Amino acid sequence: MLKAENQVPRSRYVIFNLAAFFFMAVLAGRFFYLQIMNYDTYRKRADSNRIRAVSLDAPRGLILDRNGEILVDNYPTYVLYCIPGEMENREKQFGVIGENIRMEKSMLESNYKKYYRTRFLPAKLAKDLSFDDLSRIEENKLNLPGVFYKQHPERIYNQKVRASHIVGYMKDLDNNAEEVKDKQSDYKAGDLIGWVGLEKQYESTLRGEKGATFYQVDAFGREVGHVAERDEVAPTPGENLETTIDISMQKTLERELEGLRAIGIVSIPETGEIIACASMPDYMPELFRGSMSGRDWSHIVSDTNKPLLNRFANGLYPPGSTFKMLTTVALLNNRKINPSEKIECTGFYEYGDRVFRCWNEDGHGFVNLEQAIEQSCNVYFYQTVQRISLKDLWTVWDRFGFGKKTGYDFPTEAKGTIPDRDFMNKRYGRRGWAKGNLLNMAVGQGEILVTPVQMAMYINHLATEGRAGKLHFVKGKGGVSDSSPHYSSPIWNRIRDHMEKVVYGLRGTGKSANPKIEGLNIAGKTGTSENPHGEPHAWFIGFGEKDGKQVSLVLLVENSGHGGEVAAPKARRIFSEYFNRSEIKMAEAQK
Amino acid sequence: MTLSRKISETPQTLLFIPLFLSALGLWTLYSISLDQGTALAQNLFFKQSVILIPALVGFGLAFLVSRNLIHKYIYVFYCLTLAVLAVPFLGEKIAGTHRWIDLGLPIGVQPSEFAKIIIVIALARYLSDRNLQMQYFGSLIFPTIIVLVPTLIVLNQPDLGTAIILMTPLIPMLFWVGARPFHLFLFIAPILSILTAFHLVSFFIWAGVMAVIFYFSRPRLLYGIGLYFGNLFLGLLTPVAWNLLRPFQQKRILTLLDPDLDPLGAGYQIIQSKMAIGSGGFFGKGWGQGTQTHLKFLPVQESDFIVSVMGEELGFIAIVIMLSVFTYFIFRMSRSAFESNDRFSGLVLIGFASIFLAHVFVNCAMTVGLIPVKGLPLPFISYGGSFLMAAFMMVGVSMNLSVNRTG
Repeated sequence: MLKAENQVPRSRYVIFNLAAFFFMAVLAGRFFYLQIMNYDTYRKRADSNRIRAVSLDAPRGLILDRNGEILVDNYPTYVLYCIPGEMENREKQFGVIGENIRMEKSMLESNYKKYYRTRFLPAKLAKDLSFDDLSRIEENKLNLPGVFYKQHPERIYNQKVRASHIVGYMKDLDNNAEEVKDKQSDYKAGDLIGWVGLEKQYESTLRGEKGATFYQVDAFGREVGHVAERDEVAPTPGENLETTIDISMQKTLERELEGLRAIGIVSIPETGEIIACASMPDYMPELFRGSMSGRDWSHIVSDTNKPLLNRFANGLYPPGSTFKMLTTVALLNNRKINPSEKIECTGFYEYGDRVFRCWNEDGHGFVNLEQAIEQSCNVYFYQTVQRISLKDLWTVWDRFGFGKKTGYDFPTEAKGTIPDRDFMNKRYGRRGWAKGNLLNMAVGQGEILVTPVQMAMYINHLATEGRAGKLHFVKGKGGVSDSSPHYSSPIWNRIRDHMEKVVYGLRGTGKSANPKIEGLNIAGKTGTSENPHGEPHAWFIGFGEKDGKQVSLVLLVENSGHGGEVAAPKARRIFSEYFNRSEIKMAEAQK
Repeated sequence: MTLSRKISETPQTLLFIPLFLSALGLWTLYSISLDQGTALAQNLFFKQSVILIPALVGFGLAFLVSRNLIHKYIYVFYCLTLAVLAVPFLGEKIAGTHRWIDLGLPIGVQPSEFAKIIIVIALARYLSDRNLQMQYFGSLIFPTIIVLVPTLIVLNQPDLGTAIILMTPLIPMLFWVGARPFHLFLFIAPILSILTAFHLVSFFIWAGVMAVIFYFSRPRLLYGIGLYFGNLFLGLLTPVAWNLLRPFQQKRILTLLDPDLDPLGAGYQIIQSKMAIGSGGFFGKGWGQGTQTHLKFLPVQESDFIVSVMGEELGFIAIVIMLSVFTYFIFRMSRSAFESNDRFSGLVLIGFASIFLAHVFVNCAMTVGLIPVKGLPLPFISYGGSFLMAAFMMVGVSMNLSVNRTG
């Protein structure tokens, strides 16, 4: 039956071939589009598909004291991670882990949520594991698929001192942190960042640069070895931070202030190097390193002594009598007093319908400027300050750097308050205040609030005739201070002379600050500042000089009474330690 | 006719090209199996090499069998095929479909692959048996039924890809025996009416184009109007029918429109396939060096997506060579069809050429994201037993029928 002739017109044959060619051409065109025109796009996408960069942490720089002794070091700790996609039963495994490392299961759960990134990237579960913990985890390894630990450097602190408010602490970034969300930064969830203190201020120096190693991952996100065509980038370790802190002075200072609410700053006036600095009470620097339990946290937060408050940077205090030198500068500079002029102190002074009291209720009798400073007579200043204006006082305060930041190398600093006309008008109304307010300000009370760091700047200027260096914690970060009060040498010399009387004079309020070291001259001023929180704050500011070497000191003990009684004896021991020690050191150096 | 004469007169390229493509396929499979177990039973390269033996035996038989026998018994085979197609429905589902028959062999058999051969030959016999008045539309109805019955069975398995392939030879074969283009247009029109129905503007443009074609083709007024509005009505019914589709079929179609919508679900295969092909560039990453392939980003890489492996490892150059070879293969078959001196042989050749063309187009278009994922193998290259065997048998029949009878 195969009889039917084939009678296909050539046109239909051609059309069939054209149709076939058309379909093939469409395919070829599409392949051309993908493989030639979009090659780069797909190549990149394919690589990002399969290459996973795993960052290598850089060892953080150490923090050293001025002699190279280590203040903050690194030591290896063990951190527990899990790969979510490789765990079989999270609930159950967390239970097993919790039992073996004695950690609450809920804590593991919350860490898991905090550090979860993707199914096949490790999430941090716990840190600071002990060797016992590790060995127990190791024993249970078969029950814990997808769980592993990694060595991780952590901060360890010099046991001689705490210095916690200076060095500060680090913080774990979780996946809600700004730094993690910021795509520009290379911080990842689980990374540590300097959060407070010098750790924060010098984060970029200390941190170093992360390295990276490149793993090839398969379609399930599992690592299947290194990528041959990309080399590992080694991390750049962070730089060490050489501070100006002297560990033994820091230790002395901390010991003096132990158990008090107090501040001490020891510095070198000319350069501004801070040798020791303490804000008490403080906290163990280790506190923020491990996994702090909720109870520890609420305990430290609810402490009425506020150990977390950095008092030298953020504390605001009335300066009290320590400000009398500034009133003196204003009076002398405006030539409104004759230093030998005697003014009678009867223990109080009536101005209008108000009574202003001297601390000595019996009165100081007739006192000149020298005696007024030596004995810290208030009445002398109540009377003389009436010869100048608020503007005159404000100018002096401002030149010494009050009311603004000193710009030292620390992440936090308060400005404090020095009142001017506008300030007073705003607070009391144009007619709400009068010259009477000046009387309080003349003795460092009233609206004035200062930070201990500003006080250190102030005493350093007094020691150097206004040429103190900028305060700083890290070597090389000093330089010219932001404030530079210019006054004539006779004014500086007179004030220094009177401040020496405070320590050496028969009736000096700061006599107990004298360590009685041969060749050592100490100039100082006590302060007893009234405040709304109870007993007055005890101040001592001063500087010692021996063989051309100067050191200054600011001490404040909150709500403890008279500066001369509370703060000055502590100052004596600190000066004594400093100058005796340098004596010993010099002797050693000569040998 | 002596065997030696048959061999010398047949276009031997029709065998050499499939052998070349099979070698290309084996080479690619060898690359894929590099990171599979060393056990021979699991090695794709080895398994495919073994399957080639029965495939070549099938080719030999198909080449040697007398054309008269084929012609004489094709209707019997056709009826048997319908029955066999229904057999998988009696057994358990394999991989979620009734596509496979378990013969106790290490590999399952897919009767629908062999149905492709039978349907084409049966259709060729019907169209060559009588002096059909092809200019009448009525003459197209019975041939359509011949194709439609097995297609509907396969569609029910469900195997949309194969069903489409079974349908494709119909129009080229009708065209080959002289059907009016307008009538063939009427076959395609409902499909386009359905496709455009999802997009209002396209649907209006289509309605306009259709009106113009109807006007110039001058059908009888009543038929014309009826067919025209019938098509529009079909388009309007489509959204209703859409809801009757199986969810996986709906999803496949939707994912085509925007694979990025669902990068880890249905769109994953297309995205990974495009990435593999695109990242291959002109010369490819080198044999055995395809990262997307060997890191298992690429799904079903040994069968449906084998082109992606070639594109990634061997590059655009290899793809162009492969497409050119296929094009030449199809041209050579249509030339045999044109030069054949009996209508039956010519029709069979054109039908097979259409099936090969459809396979290549649908498979490649799927891997490059032009059409939805269909699950069709690439002839001679993809891993898979039944289709490889059926393809070589088609080659055998084609070469058999390419030899003209004497006298």
